[in-house]
Amino acid sequence: MTDKERIEAIQQKAKRDSYQLALLSFIGVFGFLIAWQAAVLAGWLPSRYVPMPTQIIKLFFVKITDPTPDGAVLGVHILGSLQVVLTGFLLAIIIGIPLGLLMGWYRGFDRFMSPIFEILRPIPPVSWIPITIIWMGVGLKAKGFIVFFSAFVPCVINAYTGIRQTSQVLIDFSKTCGASNFEIFYKIGIPSSMVMTFAGIRVALGNSWATLVAAEMLAASVGLGFMIQQDRMFARPDIIILGIVVIGAIGVFLTFILKKVENKVLKWRLTQ
Amino acid sequence: MNKPVIVQSEAERRAKNIRRAYAILPVISLSLLTALWFYASSSKGSNFPSPLDIWNRYLLFLEKPIRGLSLLGHIWASLKRVFIALGVAWLIGISFGILIGWNKKANALFGPIFTAIRSVPPLAWVPLVTMWFGTGEFPQILIVFIGAIMPVVVNTQVGISNVYQIYLNVGKIFNASPKQVLFEIAIPSALDAIFAGLRTSTSAGWMVVLAAEMLGGKSGVGFLITRGMDSGDYALCLLSMICIGLVGAFLAIATITLERIICPWTVKKSS
Repeated sequence: MTDKERIEAIQQKAKRDSYQLALLSFIGVFGFLIAWQAAVLAGWLPSRYVPMPTQIIKLFFVKITDPTPDGAVLGVHILGSLQVVLTGFLLAIIIGIPLGLLMGWYRGFDRFMSPIFEILRPIPPVSWIPITIIWMGVGLKAKGFIVFFSAFVPCVINAYTGIRQTSQVLIDFSKTCGASNFEIFYKIGIPSSMVMTFAGIRVALGNSWATLVAAEMLAASVGLGFMIQQDRMFARPDIIILGIVVIGAIGVFLTFILKKVENKVLKWRLTQ
Repeated sequence: MNKPVIVQSEAERRAKNIRRAYAILPVISLSLLTALWFYASSSKGSNFPSPLDIWNRYLLFLEKPIRGLSLLGHIWASLKRVFIALGVAWLIGISFGILIGWNKKANALFGPIFTAIRSVPPLAWVPLVTMWFGTGEFPQILIVFIGAIMPVVVNTQVGISNVYQIYLNVGKIFNASPKQVLFEIAIPSALDAIFAGLRTSTSAGWMVVLAAEMLGGKSGVGFLITRGMDSGDYALCLLSMICIGLVGAFLAIATITLERIICPWTVKKSS
């Protein structure tokens, strides 16, 4: 066998392998759905509690226009949830990241803020729900606050760690060139913390979406979490599963958008 | 004899002053926080409990248990659920993570389904699970399990599939069987990633158990919070929040200690 033939053989094998893997993924997903459908059709799973995948797809198109039994169509629930989650999440970014950056850069500010932060941090956001309801009622403000809190913590921590890892060489160099402390913070510290900060934003997004669902299940009148909680009372497993699928899909979609933004903002990282 | 005179330069004196300020700042911020709390609770028409109310509520709790359980009993009820769920989640999660991290075909087969399930927040399963299994002990443990297994699987998978190729090649050159390569090279070198997953799963489990209990439990600290909310007993809410924070911090310390004991080489030197 010449070298060329050998290379060809290896390439073909790689191609075959990748086809095989794609086929397996396909089998995995569809096998799961078909097994589910078959199990319900055959009566192994009670159809009263476990709806079939085909029913859920059908329901999706019905639910777009039909507000029963929970009082709103799917689009309204989705918009309601998105409004709350984006409010809390964006506020957390706007407040949390500068706070983390400042804490990481200025020792005095760090000494002042971190005791407060360390006391509040270990309390899970969900357990703030009752207290926030006393303060702010059950509206957008209360849920936004809970979402804010869940996203705030990773934003602060990552911005803090990120700016702490600024290369000392760069700092010393700019000092030598006569930059003021604020200038170094602004021009060296912040850019070099951004990779870490974005990792925090990603965690924050996941947290805020998960917390939102919980908050809506406990106190809301619209939203996807409210929808699935209500439909439990109406004994409608099909809408619950549809809700779960939609919640998952929106979560994936939000992460995808964030990834796009990250690639745009951190373009320099790819070229290095 | 004259005392030796310590001469401080301007810079030294300034450094000393700054150090002093740094030592005082945390005290200032904490007292500000406490003052704010007292102020918020003492203003007219506010039903926000003061620290004193919480202490009194704690004493009352000692006399009058809620649903036959003392405060510690409720904490233990929550912890028990978390521990059972974590035990099962770690066992299954690590094995499954190793499977899909090590075997490309298994990953192709199960990976997409797993990713789909993982993208749903664990709490979204609560309505479905309560509908299927009622509101007993098992459904709550199941939800904690769902929340706790995801980080374990993800981290194990990433850890196993990111083992340096060179390590594996060394194993192959020395004629190690695939089993030896997996158990003696891949798994030990993925341990720090796996432990990161266990840490995340512990805190996730603690968070999920609260939410599960708040949504329909009959014991546990999450139940105490909803109980306080429903009966307007806000001191009870805050008391349970404090316990939750303490236990959460304790769990975090416990997992880190466990990691130091089991695999001391993963502790990164802090620079």
